[in-house]
Amino acid sequence: MGVARLARIEFGIFALLMGACIAVGPERARAETTLQIGIGTQNTTTNTVTGGIVLKELGLLEKHLPKTGKYQDFKYSLSWQNFTSGPPVTNGMMADNIQIGMMGDYPLLVNGATGQATGNETQLVAIIAYNAYGGGNGIVVHKDSPYFDLADLKGKNVSVPFGSAAHGMILHALQMHGLTPDFWNLVSQSPEIGSTNLQEKRIDAHADFVPFPELLPFRGFARKIYDGADTKIPTFHGVVVRKDFGEKYPEIVTAYIEALMEANDWVRQNPKLAAEKVEQWTSINKEVVYIFLGSGGIMTLDPTIKSAWVDAMKEDYTVLQKLNLIKPLNIDAWVNDKYVRQAFKDQGLDYDSQLKSLANYDMTGNDPVCNVPVTHPAEAGQIWIDGGDILTFSSPACTLTAVKKYTADGKKLDAVYLVDHELGIKVFADAAFYAIGGKDPKSPEVVPFLLKRNAEDYVAKNGGKVATYADALEGVAGASH
Amino acid sequence: MTVQNIRALPKQAAAEDPSSPKKTSPTGSSSAPKISTLVLAPAIALAKPSQLLRIVREQAPTALLGCISLGALFLFWYLGTKYKVDFYIRFKNVPTPYAVLEEARTVGLSNKFFINVVDSLRRIISGFLIAILIGVPLGLVIGKYRLVRDLYMPAIEVLRPIPAIAWVPMAIMLWPTNEASIVFITFIGAFFPILLNTVHGVHSMDGVLIRAGRCLGANEVKLFWYVILPGTLPHIFTGLAVGMGVAWVSLIAAEMISGQYGVGYYTWEAYSLVNYPAIVLGMITIGILGLLCSGAIRLVGFIAMPWLAYSVGSKR
Repeated sequence: MGVARLARIEFGIFALLMGACIAVGPERARAETTLQIGIGTQNTTTNTVTGGIVLKELGLLEKHLPKTGKYQDFKYSLSWQNFTSGPPVTNGMMADNIQIGMMGDYPLLVNGATGQATGNETQLVAIIAYNAYGGGNGIVVHKDSPYFDLADLKGKNVSVPFGSAAHGMILHALQMHGLTPDFWNLVSQSPEIGSTNLQEKRIDAHADFVPFPELLPFRGFARKIYDGADTKIPTFHGVVVRKDFGEKYPEIVTAYIEALMEANDWVRQNPKLAAEKVEQWTSINKEVVYIFLGSGGIMTLDPTIKSAWVDAMKEDYTVLQKLNLIKPLNIDAWVNDKYVRQAFKDQGLDYDSQLKSLANYDMTGNDPVCNVPVTHPAEAGQIWIDGGDILTFSSPACTLTAVKKYTADGKKLDAVYLVDHELGIKVFADAAFYAIGGKDPKSPEVVPFLLKRNAEDYVAKNGGKVATYADALEGVAGASH
Repeated sequence: MTVQNIRALPKQAAAEDPSSPKKTSPTGSSSAPKISTLVLAPAIALAKPSQLLRIVREQAPTALLGCISLGALFLFWYLGTKYKVDFYIRFKNVPTPYAVLEEARTVGLSNKFFINVVDSLRRIISGFLIAILIGVPLGLVIGKYRLVRDLYMPAIEVLRPIPAIAWVPMAIMLWPTNEASIVFITFIGAFFPILLNTVHGVHSMDGVLIRAGRCLGANEVKLFWYVILPGTLPHIFTGLAVGMGVAWVSLIAAEMISGQYGVGYYTWEAYSLVNYPAIVLGMITIGILGLLCSGAIRLVGFIAMPWLAYSVGSKR
């Protein structure tokens, strides 16, 4: 009601101004002490939540915003604007309705280039989350389809949101495997459209960014057959600010990054609570949130701008340039780590040491079934018990034994996570393929893989056989007796 | 000869004036030919050139005003972007006409853009024809029979306000192919205006005509074919013109599904790559195609309803 009235009044003013048709008064009226900050978020893109919805819901930005010195009389009016992809955020930033925005690597490049071309320069000031090997972006197919590998998609209809991080990933994947663009019929579909089309089997495969490659399989109708981790090219989401805004209010940009760092800490300290809250706020299932942001998750929360990321972006830029999809961009002028360095300084942290680190927070604890401490995070597993805790196990075999045990006890399991032996990313156990019965027949080794091809390669080398989740569960049951 | 000419003139004027059969004012249509024939008296022997000249004269104001109308729009855009007007309405980031022209030049060279246009036209026309085939008969029946109206109208009134974009997910699930989904959404856009105008046309028909038809022994089928349909045609064509407009309005929503080809898709893709000149080019292309389609409908309407040139209503 109020909004409608406001809209009407606004329209009235607009009509009046247009009718008058005289161009006077170049500046919009703005109260001296109220500063409106537009923040363009992507709540459904799970690895940007600590730059958006978490800050908003926990009030962290308000907590860090400067209130002294020249900001003494400032009244902040925060306008959180949520979108499902990067381009609308860029659009808002060009129109100066949004000063701080977040998006994936490819949309970031488009953001920077559009800004430089239209005189609305933006700068990349921080990273939210990354996967150093390109994990997170992926290709999914319908679960009933006979496709298990990239090669199976020859001549098929594949959709991807053009200009997204996933688009970049599949272009790299083609190049890497020596395939030409006409390998498949590539069309552009947004996540919403692509998901529905895949569910209805109207397309053969859909490539997408976080969280869709995990979300669609989790929702039960899709299978992930390719992960960006295969390309070994880093992928990440970052924060861009309008350059003029940053120069005018550097303390606010720094405050924003400090709030982001606090949100990252909050997630790392309470991964289960964070996943549950993010589900409540964004409707992305908590089990999917956890596979990205939980301990040993696919994404690492780290605001530092590593030189490897800048190099990756330069390579990404050439990919877009070859396709004539992007305007010129001076990447070095666009990347600005001044604010994030200042934020580290203000927090008493060492930026340069964090810059060198690629460490995520790992799965740790004591294995309650095999009764050993969890020492090899790359082989660990986790079980989320419905209405209960997330338990960590020392090996895939112990994890699957635990699954058997808890199921026999009548417990309902929300999700079971294992780590892909080849790609090093967390996978849902029920979607994985397994190499079982290799080497030593006495203690059957269970090795999980996301891709069937990788499981087959492993078996060819080490013996044993390829198994599904159900087969693997049978296998460990035999071993435990 | 002269008298004959004067008499014949209004008919010919109407017959050779496809674009604006309704625009001639009562004074204009009755007095203008006289004046023009008087003025052109020496040229009357050469009937054809004189007629041509007269048509030009009658059409000149329309053409001139049309140019002014479009020119003002262009000027508003040009000046706004040239001086980067920032007075509540902001032209700072709006691409200039020149940037759009450059974009048009680059895409004009590729036949991909031509495919876009052809695909969109095909989709619009398919959806539109289906909307006519369903909307007009249904509208006639709803308008004529109260029972049918009471049965259908509540459902129609519920479905009518749903925006095209909201139909996108349902359209994907309802139809087996992308093309069918896209045509369905353009159909939805065109259907309701056509239907409602047809219903309204039947309602506003002179009851005397129907009674007269009955008295002359027409059965229901003949009554529909010879009385109600022709009597409703003006309203139906209004519905067609509005429906064609709405079909184009829903094009972007429809072609979001396509993922490939179509002017709506082209515009949508330009948005996802934040390419502003291409967005404006897409908008202009849709505008021009819409204009051409509406023009075609008016032409067809004029040919289908020659009697309108004489009717009282047309000389408003």
